[in-house]
Formats: sequence, structure tokens, C-alpha cells
Amino acid sequence: MLQAVNQGLLDTIWLIPIYSLLGAALSLIWMPSLTRRTGPRPAGYVNLVMTLLSFLHGLLALQAIWGQPPLHWQVNWFSVAGLDFLIPWEISSLTVGATTLITGLNFLAQVYAVGYLEMDWGWARFYSLLAFFEAGMCALVFTDSLFIAYVILELLTLGTYLLVGMWYNQPLVITGARDAFLTKRVGDLFLLMGVVALLPLAGTWNFDELAEWAKTASLDPAVITLVGLALLAGPMGKCAQFPLHLWLDEAMEGPLPSTILRNSVVVATGAWVLYKLQPVLLLSPVVQSVMIFVGSATALGATLIAIAQIDIKRILSYSVSAYMGLIFVAVGTGHTQEGLLLILSHGMAMAVLVMSVGSVITNCITQDVTQLGGLFSRRPITALSFLVGTWGMVGLPPLGNSWVFQSLVSQLWYEQRGLAFLILIVNGLTAFSLMRLFGLIFLGKPQQMTERSPEPLWLIVLPMTVGAGVTLHIPHLLFSWQIVNDWTVFTKHSGIALVMSSLVGLGLGLYLYGNTNIMKPVRLPSIKLQDFFAYDFYTPKLYKGTVVGFVDLFSRFADWCDRHLIDGASNLFGLATIFSGESLKYTTFGQLQLYVLTTVVGIVVLFLLLK
Amino acid sequence: MLSLLILIPILGATITMLVSNGTIAKRVSLLCLSVVVILTLYIAREFTITDGHFQFSETYQWINLIGLDYSLGIDGISLPLIGLNMLICWLIVFAYDANSHRARSFLALLLLANAGLTGAFASTNVLLFTIFYELELIPIYLLIAIWGSVKREYAATKFLIFTAVSGILILVGFLAVGWFAANPNPTFNYESLLHTNFPVAVQTILLLILLVGFGIKTPLVPLHTWLPDTYVESSTSTAMLLGGLLAKLGAYGLLRFCMPLFPDAWHTLAPFLALWGGLGILYGAFTAIAQKDIKRMVAYSSIGHMSYILLAIAADNPLSLVGAVSQMVSHGLILALLFYLVGIVEAKVGTREIDILNGLMNPIRGLPTTSALLILSGMASAGIPGLVGFVAEFITFQGSYTQFPVPTIMAIAGTGLTAVYFVILLNRTCFGKLDNRTAYYPKVSGVEQIPALVLTALIIWLGVQPSHLISWSEATAQVYSQYTVANAGLMPIRLDSSQIAIK
Repeated sequence: MLQAVNQGLLDTIWLIPIYSLLGAALSLIWMPSLTRRTGPRPAGYVNLVMTLLSFLHGLLALQAIWGQPPLHWQVNWFSVAGLDFLIPWEISSLTVGATTLITGLNFLAQVYAVGYLEMDWGWARFYSLLAFFEAGMCALVFTDSLFIAYVILELLTLGTYLLVGMWYNQPLVITGARDAFLTKRVGDLFLLMGVVALLPLAGTWNFDELAEWAKTASLDPAVITLVGLALLAGPMGKCAQFPLHLWLDEAMEGPLPSTILRNSVVVATGAWVLYKLQPVLLLSPVVQSVMIFVGSATALGATLIAIAQIDIKRILSYSVSAYMGLIFVAVGTGHTQEGLLLILSHGMAMAVLVMSVGSVITNCITQDVTQLGGLFSRRPITALSFLVGTWGMVGLPPLGNSWVFQSLVSQLWYEQRGLAFLILIVNGLTAFSLMRLFGLIFLGKPQQMTERSPEPLWLIVLPMTVGAGVTLHIPHLLFSWQIVNDWTVFTKHSGIALVMSSLVGLGLGLYLYGNTNIMKPVRLPSIKLQDFFAYDFYTPKLYKGTVVGFVDLFSRFADWCDRHLIDGASNLFGLATIFSGESLKYTTFGQLQLYVLTTVVGIVVLFLLLK
Repeated sequence: MLSLLILIPILGATITMLVSNGTIAKRVSLLCLSVVVILTLYIAREFTITDGHFQFSETYQWINLIGLDYSLGIDGISLPLIGLNMLICWLIVFAYDANSHRARSFLALLLLANAGLTGAFASTNVLLFTIFYELELIPIYLLIAIWGSVKREYAATKFLIFTAVSGILILVGFLAVGWFAANPNPTFNYESLLHTNFPVAVQTILLLILLVGFGIKTPLVPLHTWLPDTYVESSTSTAMLLGGLLAKLGAYGLLRFCMPLFPDAWHTLAPFLALWGGLGILYGAFTAIAQKDIKRMVAYSSIGHMSYILLAIAADNPLSLVGAVSQMVSHGLILALLFYLVGIVEAKVGTREIDILNGLMNPIRGLPTTSALLILSGMASAGIPGLVGFVAEFITFQGSYTQFPVPTIMAIAGTGLTAVYFVILLNRTCFGKLDNRTAYYPKVSGVEQIPALVLTALIIWLGVQPSHLISWSEATAQVYSQYTVANAGLMPIRLDSSQIAIK
């Protein structure tokens, strides 16, 4: 009986993305006309039900697939001229587990949004987009094909555009949506080039077969380097890595509940594709070095930028870029297991952090940390959740990231010592950055904006605390999955170094920002250096000076050519025709003698030429 | 059967001119087009999808002396285009306001254009093709010159001159083809011309003549200069007709005549043609970014998108040829939708200027549905998966890449630039804050939405279920690729890596 139920759950696993898609479609029914009649809320409720359905299905299926070998099947989407576009599915405990993470987080985010967007009228759009994201991400983890993965990433890019552009009245939202779309699209199109170029080389898009092929492939290094770099650009855009990182910062203009989902799992879609593509990417040492370099540069740079920001959401978003950078490093050095774990533990911790800052923003109205302070006594639940999120982010045992970082540091110590140091430094800086944020929001004296600030509606508090609870239980999960089993690792050098780096970061942050005797804002000795971080390494200017400037200039130039040269040539031809016609008409003067004379002169000239 | 597709609209045009007012005229034309739509569906049902050659052939001797036969036939290239023709014309008539200025003449001319297009797509005699090709020019000229906007006469004349030159070049080219193939009488039958081997030098010269001829119509940069003016000055209906259908005639000519009739010359020139296509894509996209008028922007986007077809035909393998036909259909659907929506915006808001429009997505006082569909069509044009544009473009890219990697990468970059100008368009028109003082726009009625919704449904449906679009042309693409594949010796996929020249 149980077996039949389990089998049924697995056989119908494809329903998980379908529930969400259905939810998206159902929400869309609440067009402005219907919303006027019923209010916007039902659009959200139907979606919550659908998400809960896919979460429960995933959870039960996870029990069924646990310990079983992965299931594979494929559906033919379409075929043309001998080329099959297949949709291969891979159902394993990993992929089903990933969907429960996605649907679970989305459920929390949706409940949160019921409270957070209480007064908003755009529920239909918002919820259908959240559901769309959920469907896309679930399909992405289930699919085993690079082509389908590309298709989904591209669709999610469009989703980001619409979701960030939710409040399309505001100028910053418009530019944020635009930049998010275009930056991610740049990554996607490089990925598309890679997808197109890979097929003739490998003859398949299936990740499994690509991995098999990569074992024996012998290729022209130049070709595989170019292809690999193109493939790498897709995850770089999704994961907001240098130099495609600015969009995540600007995407913070979107509604906060969508940020919960974005900062925790949407950015990780890139990391997932990276993990799947790893065997192909590692074919070229150049690509591998680029992957590690980009990851470490982002990890370090983005953390430094985060420390210099004053917008709550932006501080968190740069940490997201940084952690994605660490995943790049982990995957690039071959530690995929750690990369995957990082997706999980970072995702949960970041979701809790975003939910708790959202809980502050929702009734303090401001996102500017310099206007906040002294909230600890007024908002103990939020403060504790924030601390749990911080704990989950940094390498402090026993929460999730400590195991990941310890494992990475201990292995990289013997492989590439610089990277081990990098992880310690990034960990310490993140600890500092989050403690700074904690100090600025919750410690110190209350300010005008924080004088009257109770805990918000239970709809916001509940998902936040549930998220914090899950974060606290991640070590339990890791133990029960037997991914980790040994506490003594933290007594090794690597473990001690990691804990030290976290404690130094946390302590320094607490000392500087929890101490009312120290003048705020704390400044770096060099104002130029501080501005360099605060203005995001001047990346907007860099874009303007390079890509954006080039496209703008060249499009004007092309337009000028079109108007003046090409159209000008045809108009000139027209003018010349009129002009010659106008002048030739004066040759029609009607005197017979002159006509005869002209004819005679012509004939004479002809004869002369003949001789 | 095929003759009916041509005769019924012509008959309809005659009746339309005779009836007393616009309302009846609209009913008559709608009836005629509905009949041909149903006929087309019937033909599609009877069409043998696995046969790549001409079907439903009809041949009548007409003027033997010059080798002009009335011979029709359709295959996997022409059937989708005829279907597109019927659909878009039907939607244009459906959306047409029967009370507008000189409605009867408009409808009659539209029906004539429809008949001309069907005739051109179905001709299997090159002279007959030329006749239809020229025939369709007259109604279109009048449609622009009478119902256009301010600079309509300039635009119509420019269109007339360019298209007439194109027609003359095509006529010259085809006459020469017929005479070179003479044994002893000149022959213009397409299928016998296919089996004629011309010397390479002759092929090259004739190909160049026809390339310019069809290149004007397609249009290929730099022969495109008539297009922006014409599209911008035309009324919405005419723009849909021009952009959705007429441009396809040029691309159709490239695929149907230029490539298979002169395979050796085509094969020699293919690298240049591919590069030409790639440059055209980038040129169209870059120029579109700089435009301030939505319609002009869409017009330039169309220039870019037609160049994908040149790239696909240049690559000339089954995959890329299917891509070419799909691109024609998908571009027709998307462009018709874009022009239709821009028409609605212009009619309701009164301007097409990007700098003036703002906040149309406002659910209460803006045009929410129109904006939503505008976003969808823009994204379809930019090649977002799940919509029909992606399928066509992806097949084109995958098909072309093995032969011409660099132009293909240029084309992919072009889709990125497409996204740039559509985001500019959407950000400026749909997003933003509606100006409270001016935002008293008339509502878009349900009937007005229908054509847009029909096109949208097709764009999504064919994007999700691409086999309904591509399977029509697969067999024919196989046949067509064999005309030159003997020279190329290349198969589209699963090459071994040594054959990829990326360096």
C-alpha cells in the first residue's frame, strides 16, 4: 500500500512545477476588473494553496525517494530535422530536496507577503510572478538538460524584470528592472552561444551525457576555452558576480517579499547550473581559473562593498553576491558537495535575514540604517531571528555554514592556500558586516524612526521565526543525512581558524557598532577608499563608460548613417532625377533648325570617333 | 482548390466595390476571408506533411508563346505563409472600422493584396510569380497613399519606386533564367528550371540581380531605406499587412528562387551572405535603439529580424531552412501584433513618441491589457523562450552555427540588442507614472482586443508547442537543402569537432 502511494507520488512528481504554474495562471485571473470587485487578496490565497500543495507533494516524495537510486525519464518537446529537443527529468533525493527548499521558502515568502503587502493592489501580478519563479526553479532542478536549463534561466530573467518592476511608477524601480533584465540577459545570451556551440562538439545537452563526454573529450583548447567562458557567463549573470553584479543591488527596489526568494534561491539557480556544468567547464584550465578568480574577487569585493552600504537591503544583497562567489570557488576547485550545501545553508540563513530586516522596514518605513537604532528591546523576536540568520551565515558551529567552511578550508589549505585564507577573510568580514547591521538596527539609542516600533503582524513574524527554526535545525539535517558526523573537526587547525575569524568579525562589529561611545558613522582613514566601496567600485560609471556608452554611441551613429548616408543617397538620387529632368526640359525649345544642327553635329562627332 | 484561394478574394473585392456602404462591405470581405481561411485549413488538413514537393498542383496553359503557364502548387514553404496571409488579413478586416474614410475601397484593395500574395506564394511558374508580385504592388501603393498619415505621398512614392525597381530586376532575372534554360523555347516552369544546370558565371550574375531584387523587398541593409518611412506613414492595418506579410515575399523569393536555382553560386557566396545577414541584424538593432517613435523602432526591428532569414538560408541545411520558414511566420505574427498594439496606443493616447508616453500599465486609467500584450510581444520579438520567436531563432542559430559561427554569434548578440530597445520601449511607455492631467484615454473595447488576443494566443501556443509550426516545412527543407548540400557535404549536427572552425 505504502509502496503504491510512494510510487504514485514519484510518478506524478512532474506535477510540482505544474501546481505552481497553475497557481500563476489562477492568480492572473484577478485582472484589474475582477480585483475591483473582490479586492486583490484571493489572488494571493489561491497561490498559497497551490504552493502548499507542491511543498507537501515534494516533502512526501522526498520520503519516497530517500535512499533510492535516481529516476530518469525524458519527454520529447519537439524534434526538427533530426535534432530532438528533449526534456529529461532527473528525480533524485537531491533534486526533490531542492524543490522542497524552493517551495518551502516560497510558501514562507508568500505568507510573509500577505502581511507585508497588506495595502498593495498588485497582488495578482506579484503572486503569479512568485509562482512563476517557483515553477521555473523547480523545473530547473528537475531537468537534466542544458538546453532546458537555458530556457528556464531566460524565462526567469523575464520574471525578474517584471517582479522588480512591480511598482513601476517609481523611477528607481524602472531603472532597476531594466538593469536587472539587461545584465542577466547578457549572461543568458553568452550562455546561449555556449549552448549552441556545445551541441556540435558534444552531440548532447544532457548533463549526464555531457559529464560522460567530458571524461574522454579531446578538443582544441582554444575552442573549449571559448565555449567554456560563454557557458560560465550565464551563471555569472544569475549569481551577480563581478562584473555582472550590479543588478542585484538595483533589484532591491522591488518588493521585499520577493527579495526573500531572490536572495536565497533565485540567485542560486546560477550556482545550480554551474554545478551541473562543472565537468564541461573544468575541461579548460583557463575557464577554471576564471571561475575561481571571478568567484574570489566577488566574494572579497562584494563583502567589502556591503560593509560600506547604508541601505539595509543592499548590505544583504552584496553578501549574497559574495556567498555565490564562494560557491564559484568551491565548484571551481572541485568541491561540489560543499557548493551544494552552501546553497542550502546560505539560502535559509539569508531568507531569515531578509525576513527580519523586512520586519523592521515594514513599520519603521525607512531602509536607511543611519536612521535606525535601539530596536532590541522593542523587537526581541526580530532581533533574535536576525541573530540566528547571522549565526547561520558565518562559520560558527554548529550551524550549517560552519561545516561547509571548515571542510573547504581544511581541504584548500593543502591545495590552494590562498583560497583557504580568502574563505577565512570573507567569513570574518561577513561576520563583521552582519554584526554592524545588527548594531545599527537593534543596539544604540532609538531614533525618530524607531521610537514607536512594535513587532509587526503575525503574518510577518511567523514565517520569520519558522525560517529561523529551520536554520537552527540544519545541523540536525546534516547529521541525519550523514553528510557530517564528526564534531572534532572544529578542534583541528582549520576549525579553530574558522571559529576565530568568525569571532573576531563578530566581536569587532559588536564593539564598533554596539558601543554608543564610538561616533557613527565609523569612517575609514581614507575617504576616497570609503567612497570606492560605498559607490560599489564605481561600477555604474564603468558600465556607462564601456558597454552602455558604446551601445548608445554606436546606435546614434547607426541612426545617423541611416538618415544621412543611406536614406540620403536615395533622396539624393531622387533629387538628381528631378533636377536633371528640370534642366533637360529646357532643351525642348521647338526650333527645328537647332534640332537638325544638333543631329548633324552628333553624326559628325560619331564619324570622327569611328576614324 | 488553390485557385479558389485567389479567386474568392478577387470576387470579394469586386462585390465590395459594388455594395452601398462600408458595413456591408466589411461583412462581405469578412465572409470572403472566412471562406478562404476555412479552405486553407482544409488544405492544411489534406496536406501530406511528409512530402516535400509541390502538392495541390494546378496547371493551365496560358500564353505558350512566352512560356507563361498558370501553374500553382504549394509545399512546406508556401503553406505556412499562405496560412499567415489569410490569418492576418482576416484580423485586419475584423479590426477595421466600417465607418472610416472610404471603407469600401480600402477593403477591396486589401482583398486584392491578399489575392496577390496568395498567388505569389502559390505560383510554380516564375513569370506568374512576377505577375502576382507586381500585382500586389498596386493595392499596397494605394493603401499607403490614401489612408496613410501626414507624409503618406512621399512614403508611397518611395515605396512604389523601390518596389518597382525590385520588380523589374526580378523580371529581368527571371526572363534571363528562362532564356538560358531554353530548349529551344524559353521555359519558366519552376520545377524544370530546378533541374537546369547553369554555368557558374551565369549563375552568379543572375543571382546577384535577383538578390538585389528580393533584397529590396525583404529588405536587406542597405536596400531598406523605403521601409521605415513606409511603415511609419501607413495606417495600422496597412502596417500590419506590410510588416507581417509583404516583407515575407522578399525572404520567400530568396529561399524559393535564389538559393535552389543557383546552387553553385549560392554556395560560393554563402559566407558573404551569412555575414551580410549578421551585419544586417546588428545594424537594424542598433538603429532601432536610437529611435524615438515606437513605430519607427518596430520598423527597424523588422529590418534586423528579416536578416536572420538571410543567415538561415545562407547556412542552407535542413535545420536552418526550417528555421528560416519558422522565422518568417513567427516574425509575421509578432510584427502584426506589435503594429496592432502600437496602433491602439496611437489611437487612444494620440502619440507614438517614446518621450511623451508614460505609465500605460496603470490599471485604472491606463491601457493595462494593451501594455501587458505589448510586453509580451516585445519579449517574443527579443526571443524569450516559450514564445514563438525563440523557437524560430534558436533553430536558426543552431542550424547556422556549424557553417557560419561568427555571423551566428553576431545574430545572438543582435537578440541582446533587441532586448535593449524593447526594454527602452516598455520602460518608457508601459512603466512610469501616468500623467494625471492628460490621462483621459478612451477605453479599449473588447472587440478591439480580439485580434491582439488571437495573435497572442498563437504566439504562445506555437512557442510552447513548436512542432505545430515547424513540422509543415520539415520535409521541404530536407528537399531544399539537397539542392546545394551535394556541394557542401555538411550535415547540421553531430559533426566531429575538427570541422568546427571557430578560430
